[in-house]
Amino acid sequence: MKNRVKVFRAMHDLTQEQLADTLGVTRQTILAIEKGKYDPSLELAFRMARHFKVSIEEIFLWEEQAEGT
Amino acid sequence: MKRNTFYLILGLVILLEVGVFWWAVEIHNALLSPVAFILGVVAIYVARSRVGEIIEDERTGLITQKAALRTFQVFWVVFFAVNLGMAIIGLGPPGFPRPPMRPPRSDEGLPFNLLGRYAVVQLVLLGLMILLYVGFRIYYARKYGDWDSDEEQS
Repeated sequence: MKNRVKVFRAMHDLTQEQLADTLGVTRQTILAIEKGKYDPSLELAFRMARHFKVSIEEIFLWEEQAEGT
Repeated sequence: MKRNTFYLILGLVILLEVGVFWWAVEIHNALLSPVAFILGVVAIYVARSRVGEIIEDERTGLITQKAALRTFQVFWVVFFAVNLGMAIIGLGPPGFPRPPMRPPRSDEGLPFNLLGRYAVVQLVLLGLMILLYVGFRIYYARKYGDWDSDEEQS
């Protein structure tokens, strides 16, 4: 699964630390998600989408979808 | 409390535990070390709950879960195999590898009997279990990006 967390974070001018604090996770988790090493739970993905005021699909791209685009 | 303060407390508690164990052996007190161990675990638990920073989330939970499961799987097999061997040694007739027991001389202390040896082997195995857990934890932490760095990290 690919994601655009880094892009949205940059658009909202947030550091990993700030985003992590807002979402109640460690900074390392945000980093791991951005690097594609860890896929967040559905709950965290929803929290992230709500925080950026977008839908989940705009942040997280399923691999087949990501390859197709 | 900061995370580093917690790690300092953890180190101090471990040092204290080693000291208490040493002292308990010196004064032949079997109760002291187990009680100190339980108190140490409680102290670490309390200190950990007072860390202000977020040190646990779903990713660290996953790492802990995976490492614990793998440790359990490997440890169970090793523990069973060792104890199976020890049961055969303990229940079988004296001979190799268990020499015949001789009564202790009057100037000797209590013999280092089979039960004592058994306890030591169990302690060593439990120590190895921790090493196994740490190994698996390092493996999964690396897999889930615990030591990755980026431009934000100074």
